[in-house]
Amino acid sequence: MSQTNQHRHQLPGRVVGLGWLVVMLITLSIALTVLIPPVWLPPSLQQLRYSWLGEPDFVELPANQPRELNLPELPCDPIIAARGEAREIEGLQIMRSPSCNPDHPADVAAFVKGTNNISAATLMETLLTVDAVDKRDDLDGDGDPDRIHIRLEVVELNGKSPEMSQTVPRFEIAPGIAPGFWVFAPKTRGMSTTNFGSLEANRLLRMPSPVIRVEAGDEISITLENTHYLPHTIHLHGVDHPFRDASGEGNDGVPGVSERMVFPGEARTYEFKARQTGTMFYHCHVQPQVHVMMGLNGMLVVEENRPDNWLQTLNVGAGHVRYPSVASREAYDREYDLHYFDVDKDLNDLIKEYNDPRLIAKATNRGYNATQRTAEYYLLNGRSFPFTLLESAVVVDTGEHIKLRVLNGGLEPVSLHTHGHKVRITHYDGVEQNPLAQITRDVVFLSSAQRLDLLLDTKNDGLHSYGSGIWLLHDHREQAVTTDGINPGGDIGVIVYEDYLAANGWPRFFGDMRLYFSPDYYAGRIPVWSASDPEGRFGEPENQPVTTVRLALLGLVGFLLFGTLVILSRRLVRSVKAR
Amino acid sequence: MSKLDRGLIDVIAFTALIAFATAPAGGGAQVNDERAHHRQKDHSDHRMVIDADGMVMNYNENELPRDCAQLGEDVTFDVHVGVRYARRGAAFGFDLNEWQVPPCARVAVTLINDDSVRHQWMVHGLPRYLYPQGMFHLEANGGSRKTGKFIVPSDDRTYLVHCDMAHHMEKGLKGQLKVGSGSGDLPSVPGITGARRPDRYL
Repeated sequence: MSQTNQHRHQLPGRVVGLGWLVVMLITLSIALTVLIPPVWLPPSLQQLRYSWLGEPDFVELPANQPRELNLPELPCDPIIAARGEAREIEGLQIMRSPSCNPDHPADVAAFVKGTNNISAATLMETLLTVDAVDKRDDLDGDGDPDRIHIRLEVVELNGKSPEMSQTVPRFEIAPGIAPGFWVFAPKTRGMSTTNFGSLEANRLLRMPSPVIRVEAGDEISITLENTHYLPHTIHLHGVDHPFRDASGEGNDGVPGVSERMVFPGEARTYEFKARQTGTMFYHCHVQPQVHVMMGLNGMLVVEENRPDNWLQTLNVGAGHVRYPSVASREAYDREYDLHYFDVDKDLNDLIKEYNDPRLIAKATNRGYNATQRTAEYYLLNGRSFPFTLLESAVVVDTGEHIKLRVLNGGLEPVSLHTHGHKVRITHYDGVEQNPLAQITRDVVFLSSAQRLDLLLDTKNDGLHSYGSGIWLLHDHREQAVTTDGINPGGDIGVIVYEDYLAANGWPRFFGDMRLYFSPDYYAGRIPVWSASDPEGRFGEPENQPVTTVRLALLGLVGFLLFGTLVILSRRLVRSVKAR
Repeated sequence: MSKLDRGLIDVIAFTALIAFATAPAGGGAQVNDERAHHRQKDHSDHRMVIDADGMVMNYNENELPRDCAQLGEDVTFDVHVGVRYARRGAAFGFDLNEWQVPPCARVAVTLINDDSVRHQWMVHGLPRYLYPQGMFHLEANGGSRKTGKFIVPSDDRTYLVHCDMAHHMEKGLKGQLKVGSGSGDLPSVPGITGARRPDRYL
């Protein structure tokens, strides 16, 4: 190091004396204390500042941000709701189903008669193939078909497109919210969207995977036609099925244990003849922490074998059963399938990131860590509130017996609370509870994969029912009544009495629900009480910006103070070295 | 017990065709299929065949597009589809992704499905007065084949061809049909053009 360099290093110290530096430091520190906005300081420093400088001036607090509340129309179309009227199709009496979005009666008829047994006109009204649900051969001579062949495909919803930023085909669980899903779907034909100009998935491609209903003793074949880009299987959870089928092929759906996976473009048929009845479960067993949670799970109901027992083999979107079994009609006035599910968007949204199946397999199987899972979305029959109200309201009348079949297809536990009612648990995981020991309560608990059959008795006696109304039916784990933290959302549903139901199938609520159909609401951009707080007492205040001059001065003082500190510290370091 | 069991079902009924062409909507906020149905006006009588092997939609071997003074050449080709034709990073593939035909040609296409699941060969953008929804559509069940004919217009144009099953186009089943010299290339046609939103390999 040359002499000149050392000389230059010492220069600042010679120009400005130590005393001056200390004075500058103190002056700048005081200036900073005055200039810094008090709200930036911790409370103790704020107190100190006021005790030195006196009480702050009164400043009018900011007004609310101006906000035009554009309430969307209720998506409750009377033309669609009219599908819910009772009608006869293919000689079947399809039950009335009051709802904004009831199941299409032609679909119901096709699932009851079999897609191979209906007229061409009815088949055209559905979106199904001829072999989607094939029914034939009355083996026991009791008036209904006993060889049932169901074909399921695997469909991706809300996945990445290599061409556009929108994900396809679109399926929203709530306004503006469309996580990625994989689902089992009935075998459909034609376009996967509603039309060429639309990105919306057609009505049969949706969450959850459809409810399958079969009769005990029937010869059931379920062919998995793997139309997806990853391998899958079907595991029949709780359903009586042999480990190997008649031809010796694996039948339990567990890769490596019973069989090899069904690869893309391949098909495999699972076979069973159930000896026991009950509400069961089916799901893909490939990488279950990924595949089950992407949506590849559904309810499977084994009904009693009865004469003339034509079953609605698939209940797409779960919910109201418009053509219940003979046994159900004898004991119950109405039947509903309720499928609960929860979604970790960190997993489900991975399919929005990649298109290459290798990258998707890597991200989901090796990148995603299921042990660190958190759920953001809670679904009832594939939707969150308020969409649950459009299609999954449990409609009842006073003095009825309603059967609720409940499945928890998710990983979070469900504490299902029935406002205004106490329900009786008749079956656990498809097995009847001793009638003398059956429990009646208002919160029923389901762990992952569990099923409960519930009797909802609407006798107005203060125990079973408190009378007519719109009573919430929701998971009492409070995070489950939010959609990514915004309430009301999640798996909120309702038990609604007929006299509280409008003609279009929408419950006659006390308040205005339109706010909840706004995507902005679930994006957290609207104060939650906007609809019921016209004065804006809980509105969103404008920001109170710190004035520009003050900020500029603060910046200047900060800069000078920093410079002074740097020079002082270098002086100190040098003097320590010199010693 | 079977009305429609085993064997061919020809459906010529206009109403049924339109009911299919304006395929119904999903649930939630977007239900509008019946409304679309009521709006549908382009009445034309086209053949739809649906059977155990699949379907053919908007079959047309006689009616000329308005801009064609006379029928052009007869063109016949097969299209194979299946996982075995998939390119790297895709799941499914056609054996070819581009087909070229002369103006006003009558095109006879046979879709041969080498997989065990359903696939489609669907052309979009055809004149709507002749092809409802502007479509010509072949759909073949696993292991089967479907043949159909349609007549193309006279102008040089490139038509989108794809399998419209969920994510089959995205996962490889996209192609283009050029009439005459075509009107350029479509995006992300495997082997021809790249993806506008490609994956990143890091």
